Amino acid sequence: MADTHGLLLEVAPREMTGPPVPGAPRRRTNRYLLGLPAAVLLGLLLAPTLWTVWLALRTDDGVGLGNFVAVVTDPEAVRAGANSLTWVVMAICLLGLGLGIALLSRRVERLWGVLLYVMVLPFGISLLVSGAAFRMIFDPTPEHGIASAAAERLTGSSPVWLGTGSIRFVLVSAFAWTWLGYVVSLFRAGLDAIPVDVIRTARAEGLSRLSRLRHLELPILRPVTAIVVLTLIVAAARLFDLILIVTPGSSQDEVDVVALRWWHMVTSSPDPGRPAALAVLLSVFVVGVALVGMRGMRRPWAIPEYPADGEAAKHRYSGRLERSASWIVGFVVAVMWAFPLLVLAATAWHEPAQAGAGGWWRFEGLGAESFVEAANVGLWRSLFGTAVIAVLATALVLTAAVPAAYLLAWGGLPRWLGRSLVVLFVMLAVLPVQMYAGPLGDVVDTLGLGGSRIPLIFVHAAAGLPFAMLVLRPAFASAPPDLAAAVVLGRTGQRAAFGSVWRRRRYRPALVAVAVLEFVLVWNDFIVGFLISGPGSSPLTLLLWGEARQFAASAGTVAASAVVASLVPAVVLLTTWKRVIRGLTGGALR
Amino acid sequence: MAELSRRGLLRAAALLPAAGAVGSTVGCGGNAGIVSLRPTVRVAVTWSAGELQAFRSVLNGLGPREYSVEMMPFGDDISTALGTRATGRPDVVLLPRPGLVADRLDALEPLPPTVAERWRYARIWDDLLFHRGPGNAGGRQPYGVPFKIAHKSAVWYRTDVFAAYGIEPPRSWSEWREINARLIRLGRTPLALAGGDGWALTDFFENVLLASARDTYDRLAAPSLPRPWTSPAVRRALRLLGRMWSPQGALAGGARRCMVLQFQDALLEVFRYGRAAMVVVPDFAELVINRFAADPSTVGVFTFPAVDGDDEDPVPGPHAPPVVVGGDVAVLAKPSNRHARDLVTRLATPTAPLPWINPDGGRGADSRSTSHGGGFIAAHLDTPMTEYSRRLRPLAERLARPAGRMLRFDLSDRVGPVGSTQGMFRVLQDFLENVGDGGTDRVSAAADDAARRLRGVEDRLIEDRDRGSGHG
Repeated sequence: MADTHGLLLEVAPREMTGPPVPGAPRRRTNRYLLGLPAAVLLGLLLAPTLWTVWLALRTDDGVGLGNFVAVVTDPEAVRAGANSLTWVVMAICLLGLGLGIALLSRRVERLWGVLLYVMVLPFGISLLVSGAAFRMIFDPTPEHGIASAAAERLTGSSPVWLGTGSIRFVLVSAFAWTWLGYVVSLFRAGLDAIPVDVIRTARAEGLSRLSRLRHLELPILRPVTAIVVLTLIVAAARLFDLILIVTPGSSQDEVDVVALRWWHMVTSSPDPGRPAALAVLLSVFVVGVALVGMRGMRRPWAIPEYPADGEAAKHRYSGRLERSASWIVGFVVAVMWAFPLLVLAATAWHEPAQAGAGGWWRFEGLGAESFVEAANVGLWRSLFGTAVIAVLATALVLTAAVPAAYLLAWGGLPRWLGRSLVVLFVMLAVLPVQMYAGPLGDVVDTLGLGGSRIPLIFVHAAAGLPFAMLVLRPAFASAPPDLAAAVVLGRTGQRAAFGSVWRRRRYRPALVAVAVLEFVLVWNDFIVGFLISGPGSSPLTLLLWGEARQFAASAGTVAASAVVASLVPAVVLLTTWKRVIRGLTGGALR
Repeated sequence: MAELSRRGLLRAAALLPAAGAVGSTVGCGGNAGIVSLRPTVRVAVTWSAGELQAFRSVLNGLGPREYSVEMMPFGDDISTALGTRATGRPDVVLLPRPGLVADRLDALEPLPPTVAERWRYARIWDDLLFHRGPGNAGGRQPYGVPFKIAHKSAVWYRTDVFAAYGIEPPRSWSEWREINARLIRLGRTPLALAGGDGWALTDFFENVLLASARDTYDRLAAPSLPRPWTSPAVRRALRLLGRMWSPQGALAGGARRCMVLQFQDALLEVFRYGRAAMVVVPDFAELVINRFAADPSTVGVFTFPAVDGDDEDPVPGPHAPPVVVGGDVAVLAKPSNRHARDLVTRLATPTAPLPWINPDGGRGADSRSTSHGGGFIAAHLDTPMTEYSRRLRPLAERLARPAGRMLRFDLSDRVGPVGSTQGMFRVLQDFLENVGDGGTDRVSAAADDAARRLRGVEDRLIEDRDRGSGHG
């Protein structure tokens, strides 16, 4: 039996028995109804996206490229574009670093158990929170910025970390802190999936480590790499909230990026054409990257089974000296990664006046007053609102995605349709919010729903759906061969087959991955809430952003809100992370 | 008539989804929709942190209402609260830039007659707030009610430092320059500057400009284009400012560090860490000072002195101290509802802001909120002066007097987008970076350059507008 590109070929060694196979499955029209909820949700993305394209093409004298020309020749937009490209390059460098740590991590198995969670934790935390933590660390005042204080102690003077030049370093650090854990754990999962005997064989053949990496590990990792590249480049190109919270007004021009420039354009000029053109350009870039990346997702060769946890890991890779060096690296990384969290927590547990003016490392002024103050500015209300939005959006995504993914996997859709749908989902999964935020916001406004949570829930669900489909479809499709054969032969009904798929534990990681990632992303979202619903809809991140406008003075409130805001997604992500990884790599890659 | 029916249609459309959602746990209008069916009035404000809490206590003190109030902190992006494509539209906006009212008449509704009938505000508000409706229909009506007024010509200083060296607050610019020079010689840093908040720099510049060239200030504030940005008076004001900022050791932490300090940071430099003796920030600094000052008894405030120039650039007399004024006005977003109108009416009473002015004054405020008060001057002329703190009272009294010769509204609010992030903020930040930390000999060239750039921003704006009118 062979499985190539989803096509099952089976040699029939015996006579086939069973009921006659009908020429075509029954209820051909009905099954499309399964995709209806998903189609409606996707309409929420597609219609405004097309509208934005139309706005971008509409000029004074009919339809043309005038807006694009205006954007490409606008020096500020060009600078923002160049900065965005720099971010993309930086994200690719981060990838190399992540691979390195993942390779090293195999030598520190016991430490890895801890390191994994320490590194993944920031991924479950809003970029806004990580931005706040880094701004606290690099605060220009030595009394409460540890970086300035340390530099002053060591060299007598401190660079202005948040000023021109070094602000880029701060931003990149915060970005790396958030994303590196995700990169490392996906690479690590990919490495663990390499069958031990393949490596043994390679070693026995006398391949050097470098050539093993080049000819064995990197090709096998290609699907994982594609997924990581995709997520990271898209994240880098769409960067918005991190820059907004970390950068003081005077340095903001220097680090302007496309997503931010779009926002400045929208707010400063009544002409919708130019921002629309900029959004289209950004989308074309991101979608282009995604489509190229998707081609890389195909496996170079089939890997029979995903190994149980740690099976490959039992293998010893290196000598003692190397292991101790790896221990040191691992330990340093763990400490570095825990540090911003320590800063946040320590700041939060100082009373506001002390947190705003004194250092979080001092012992005076400890207390829970900052939490009280955060509660006074509406923390609990926001927490409740965010929970409602995140839970309902996740539920909505699952209700729409599960039947649709089933339809795609088992509905016997025409091959061209299935393939184009997957391409469509890849494109929509990476589509920047700027593409649909403007028109959607207008509609929401006209309906009088501005600031309400209902549109937020639907928009989040719509935005999360394509990604959910990309993960769920292959997970459902990769049923055991006997079950697949039974359906093809008509021995098992499609519904029964789906029931069987549903009951098997093997397919749960994908569902868990979708649910957890959607929940965490919605919980941590800033930009959708900000653009669709305005600062009034009071999700946590918006509250945080409002408080952070007076950064130093409200450090206590900001830190306390950040800690409370991060608890739920952090716990959800950490308790499910291993299953999420399995769902992402096991499902999306097959 | 067409307008009315369109509004009715929108309202009906608004009710549809809400009716569908009644059964579920989610209602529209945020939190209130979930726990009860009370209507909600959404108020957009620019405040955060302590000011937000102080405003909350103001709302709590407004008496029993049949609606709940949700605050929407917009921060610096408050102008988008009224944007044509603003999402999450608020019902009431507390606009920190009264100059925007004239530009956004189409998005605003005139105030209810109950407010207009009892109009008791300084005359300088009239030009900003009274307008004819779109299409010049009807008489002039108020489109916003002043809630908070800000004295932007305040200089906060350390009384103990001044006393230690026998220094009196300066009465003229040249005296101020001498004080600075003396403090530098003594090894003390005279000034803290919040360069990260562009408005702190523009306030400083506006004071110098108003005091040294009132006519130019008025011509810049007028709506006619082009404005005289490159005039000798503007460049002189920039040069005076540059020579104040440029000496080595004049600014706490140096110019580069000033660029990332927000106004609270600058206050902390003076009153918490003692790294500077003075800081130019408006009256509302008091709220931050109350909370963070290491020793509240050393906090003093004087008003911006008259500008007589310096050796290189003498300013011909007569000299008078400037008073630059800012403020927050409450406006009604269109279409308004009766709850929003009620809220604005309540905010327009003279006693409404008392919990902010004086949180301990017999209104039963809980003791925890003591650190969230002060730093507020009411715009209403009938708000009792006795409620203000010892430091704010002189400032409040100065603002309540009939508009004097030298009392003007914040320029950056009168010049449209030139007065915001990409315009004056940016230009003055670059100017500071240019001349700071000993760049005295660069001041003249930097001032010319800054003036040219301000002109450039405006030119681009005119270009944009012409292109925009080509659209319609």
